[in-house]
Amino acid sequence: MRFIVIGGGRVGLRTARVLTEEGHEVTIVERDATKANHASSAGFRVIEGDGSREDVLTEAGVDEADAVGALTGDLNANFAACLIAKHHGCWTVMRIDEDYREEIYQQYATEVDEIVYPERLGAIGAKNALLGGSIRAIADVAQNIQIILVTVTEESPMRGYSLSEVALPSDSRVLAFGKADEPLGIPLQDDSLEAGDRVAVIADFDVLDEVRQLLVGTTEPIAAAGGA
Amino acid sequence: MAVTAYVLVKSNTGEADRVKESIEAIDGVVDAHIVAGDVDFIVKLSVESPAHVKDIAASGILGIEGVEDTQTYIAMG
Repeated sequence: MRFIVIGGGRVGLRTARVLTEEGHEVTIVERDATKANHASSAGFRVIEGDGSREDVLTEAGVDEADAVGALTGDLNANFAACLIAKHHGCWTVMRIDEDYREEIYQQYATEVDEIVYPERLGAIGAKNALLGGSIRAIADVAQNIQIILVTVTEESPMRGYSLSEVALPSDSRVLAFGKADEPLGIPLQDDSLEAGDRVAVIADFDVLDEVRQLLVGTTEPIAAAGGA
Repeated sequence: MAVTAYVLVKSNTGEADRVKESIEAIDGVVDAHIVAGDVDFIVKLSVESPAHVKDIAASGILGIEGVEDTQTYIAMG
């Protein structure tokens, strides 16, 4: 797919890198000459200019792009870029700088398809690193729903059982399963849970503790599964 | 002499509708818009004197739950 990333700072550059690694075509739009040079020498196609201007986005190929990520630190520039990109038929993603704005933009900014708040993702990562252990929060899907990755331990009450025998709370589902030394895949009824295996579960905050007890069975603090 | 002023409002809540309605209910407020960018609302006032501008911004708008900060600009022309 073809993407335009506006903003060649930490968030934009990293996003461009991940997309490129996955085989996509990425153009970075950056206003600052130093940053533009830096992105350019890192091997990216870079358009130096203001991404909130239509002529600059046209030069970056907005007519051929599938999606535009407005990822600068400037909300006005990001919103203007999304307005233009939407007009050119792109899927639009906008970076915001404070979490309360997520609701406001979701409700009023119809030109913005998705909103990202990088600090939220950073907080999940930092929390996981600080707490360690066998539970890792992957994403807050909604205000009350989180995806967690659980590593089965020797103490797990469900160790030795198959996935079909694991009776998770009704507000939760197994999304993926991976044996200790294998990548995660689609969970099968017959997969058996052994120590070291990993289970990705989507669950309501209210039942996270229950999920944790069933799959891990340790006395790790409840905070390990809380939201970021 | 009527005074026109614009108040830029920064909030700290996602309940933009509630804040907007509370702002619009204040006497002297002509118009209130939810905006994209560094502030969340831009409010237009039309009042009798500069002192009224201060009243509306300081006690009126700042008193609404979820409003964090305001910046007021009095129109000159």
